[in-house]
Amino acid sequence: MNDQHIVSAFDRDLEGIQAHVMKMGGLVEAAIGEAANAMVARDQELAEQVRAADKAIDALEELINERCANLIALRAPAAVDLRVVLSVMKIAGNLERIGDYAKNMAKRTSVLVHMEQVEGAHASLKRMAHEVQLMLKDVLDAFIQRDVDLARDVLERDEGVDQMYNALFREFLTFMMEDPRYITPCMHLHFMAKNTERMGDHVTAIAEQVVYLVTGSMPEDARPKATRLDA
Amino acid sequence: MYDTEKLGTDVNQTETKISARNVQVYYGDTHAIKDVNVDIDAKSVTAFIGPSGCGKSTFLRCINRMNDTIDVCRVEGDIKIDGEDIYDKRVDPVQLRAKVGMVFQKPNPFPKSIYDNIAYGPRIHGLAKNKADLDEIVEKSLRRGAIWNEVKDRLHAPGTGLSGGQQQRLCIARAVATEPEVLLMDEPCSALDPIATAQVEELIDELRDQYSVVIVTHSMQQAARVSQKTAFFHLGNLVEYGDTSQIFTNPKDERTESYITGRIG
Amino acid sequence: MTDTTQNTGAVTPISSLHTLDARTKRRNAAENRFKLYGMIAIGIGLLMLVTLLTTILSKGTGAFTQTFVTMEVELLESKLDKSGERDLEKIKKVTTFGYAPLIKTAFEKTVEIHGIETDLKSKTMAKILSKSAASQLRNYVIANPDQIGQTIEFRFLANSRVDGYMKGRVTRDSIANDKNITPAQLDFVDQLIEAGALKKTFNIDFIIGADASDQRPEAAGIGVAMMGSLFMMLVVLALALPIGVAASIYLEEFAPKNWITDIIEVNISNLAAVPSIVFGILGLAVFINYMHLPQSAPLVGGLVLTLMTLPTIIISTRAALKAVPPSIRDAALGVGASKMQAVFHHVLPLAAPGILTGTIIGLAQALGETAPLLLIGMIGFIASNMPETVGEGLLSPNSAMPAQIYEWAKRADPAFYERAWGGIIILLIFLISMNTLAVLLRRRFERRW
Repeated sequence: MNDQHIVSAFDRDLEGIQAHVMKMGGLVEAAIGEAANAMVARDQELAEQVRAADKAIDALEELINERCANLIALRAPAAVDLRVVLSVMKIAGNLERIGDYAKNMAKRTSVLVHMEQVEGAHASLKRMAHEVQLMLKDVLDAFIQRDVDLARDVLERDEGVDQMYNALFREFLTFMMEDPRYITPCMHLHFMAKNTERMGDHVTAIAEQVVYLVTGSMPEDARPKATRLDA
Repeated sequence: MYDTEKLGTDVNQTETKISARNVQVYYGDTHAIKDVNVDIDAKSVTAFIGPSGCGKSTFLRCINRMNDTIDVCRVEGDIKIDGEDIYDKRVDPVQLRAKVGMVFQKPNPFPKSIYDNIAYGPRIHGLAKNKADLDEIVEKSLRRGAIWNEVKDRLHAPGTGLSGGQQQRLCIARAVATEPEVLLMDEPCSALDPIATAQVEELIDELRDQYSVVIVTHSMQQAARVSQKTAFFHLGNLVEYGDTSQIFTNPKDERTESYITGRIG
Repeated sequence: MTDTTQNTGAVTPISSLHTLDARTKRRNAAENRFKLYGMIAIGIGLLMLVTLLTTILSKGTGAFTQTFVTMEVELLESKLDKSGERDLEKIKKVTTFGYAPLIKTAFEKTVEIHGIETDLKSKTMAKILSKSAASQLRNYVIANPDQIGQTIEFRFLANSRVDGYMKGRVTRDSIANDKNITPAQLDFVDQLIEAGALKKTFNIDFIIGADASDQRPEAAGIGVAMMGSLFMMLVVLALALPIGVAASIYLEEFAPKNWITDIIEVNISNLAAVPSIVFGILGLAVFINYMHLPQSAPLVGGLVLTLMTLPTIIISTRAALKAVPPSIRDAALGVGASKMQAVFHHVLPLAAPGILTGTIIGLAQALGETAPLLLIGMIGFIASNMPETVGEGLLSPNSAMPAQIYEWAKRADPAFYERAWGGIIILLIFLISMNTLAVLLRRRFERRW
């Protein structure tokens, strides 16, 4: 198939929205990393920066939605073009949610700074955040390179994140049972872990969009089930 | 979650009205249609799309043997309507064309009154026993053509005095007046403005519950809007045939994809 | 320039639209020159048309008036019907010689009544009348035998020299060597004019009458030739229209497009360009020499003209059929009409104005055609008047208008020359009215689709 549209402005528009998604993805990736760093380093200033940076992410999502709406109205995309526009809109929504979770982590870091430090938990949480960050990077690569295999790989890796979350959950439970003073920070940390786990789910959703974009249908195998809380 | 597989089989369960097997059309030495196989559903709208000169109109005109009027045109293969081969020696094209009505690209009412335009077909086929019968057929056809309310007070005004969109609906009404089972439409909206086009599209959608409609269109959006199934022709080949929603969201063939997304194909 | 720019604050245009560049000027000049050439060409054409029309009118209108001498004639029973039985057979036995004395007497009386002084003898006086004067009177008497024995006022046709004198064609100088008339007779004519007995009036006989012999141009009319033309046109219409239309419909709508039809098509176009005299020879060879149809008959003339008109009709009919949009045929076939129904119900009615126009123009062309008629002898000299010739119709010898005109132009007497011009006026009136009819038909029935 020829890559170029007869109407070249159509190509420019399509490339434009995808570039914006990549830019947004970059910002979100950075937000996850910095939110995790701020948490480990108990760096309030960095946390504030992450919270402020979310505004740019929200603005980008709005911009992408507007561009997509225009593109649909003006160019009536079909087939792969339509799928690009639809997946871009969904990916932008997912990225925005991930950005919100990062912001929420930063917010909780600002609170945690003034509390007792929970030993060991930070490192695990940071590893988890790092894993999500990697997944996001990979899924964005998969998106821009139309790489279904990489996207499927990301889908599978989400299970690892879920397991990490389950482990952390038990760890926090133990801390709280051992010492009631840890209840408040552990609750905050647990929410941060949950946020990270949700980020992973959104990354998974993006990976699904990539598969849909390339193949025209959603991945056949049902997505790895979310955490069962019967433990 | 919907079971898309099951939906798909439901669509396939509808009755086949027209079935074409290994159809070849030659214009003199030019091989215009190459080995086309297609099953067209009864009581649904099937759209033929494709770039200019791809053979979609030629194939459409095979279905009511309008190509017979062209000396150098030769058709091979089988086209069956309700299982009967329409190129059989026993088939009279005139009789066939009463069963397979046609609407053309340019609205072409006869330069006669609106009434006579509709009444002509029933008259030559002897469908009306008397004047009252004929009046009834005319009214019914005009209603089915969704134009009755606009013309009922001036049935004896010339049909050529109507607007383009009205003329085209008049032509559709004229085509349904002979009680056809299949309606062929050759780019019926290409000469119409968007409002008239929308009216004709609405009409096509209504006609679907009584007729098998086959429409050739240059507007992919129109094919997407009115049809249940879409066939994409390219250089005389039937490249892809499937449910319209599938063709327009996720075509299987690269040529189809290139064409419907507006890339050089 | 700069001042205004500063004042308005506008940007100075790179090239001003208010001044023409050299190229534009040249282009405009060329266009104006071309328009001028066109106007000159049209002017020349109009000038020629005006010259033609004025010449025809000035030379031909004379033929529509004729000089008559009105006198009282005593129809003596002793001369015309000795038996007194009013038996038509017996009256008919009196030849024109029997009538001559009556005319002489009438002149003597007229001179007496008007008190004209002249030395001329009554026999010489009578010479100013047409040679057909006596037969004119005889015809009148035969038509009205009950008038015998009475004195009637009768209008005698004057001699062509006298007529020419009245119209200025003949002068006292020009008759110096003329045996037919003397200056003394012209003096007498002048006296008669003064007395009111000799007048120039409208002459219906020219339009409805028959041709006359070389000696009596004043009696010649184009009416019989007109009937001949009419008969021929009827033959052409009855043959060429159905044959031509049927041929065109078949060629245009039904015939397969192959080399045979191509050859036929080319030949039809060529036939339209074949000189008409060729058709004349063909007619002579086939219709007269081979089929032994009578010479000079309107039937043969009509057949020849049919051959000549057919290509015109076929070409114009095919053009009219081609002009019907194919969408109409598609529409008819699409609702299940057969090919023939499509053609006869839809295509033909739409093509009809074009076909009629073509036919009328073909007929007009045939009406004006001379050469083939000369070859098949459609220049019959028919001197008997209308009712006798009309009845005999298609197979009796006749003439045609253009042939008659040619005949007259050929004769020596200048009085015939005038009649030739008059005949041309009549012919032109026919042609113009036919063409007008064609235009009107086209206007009236032309449909837009």
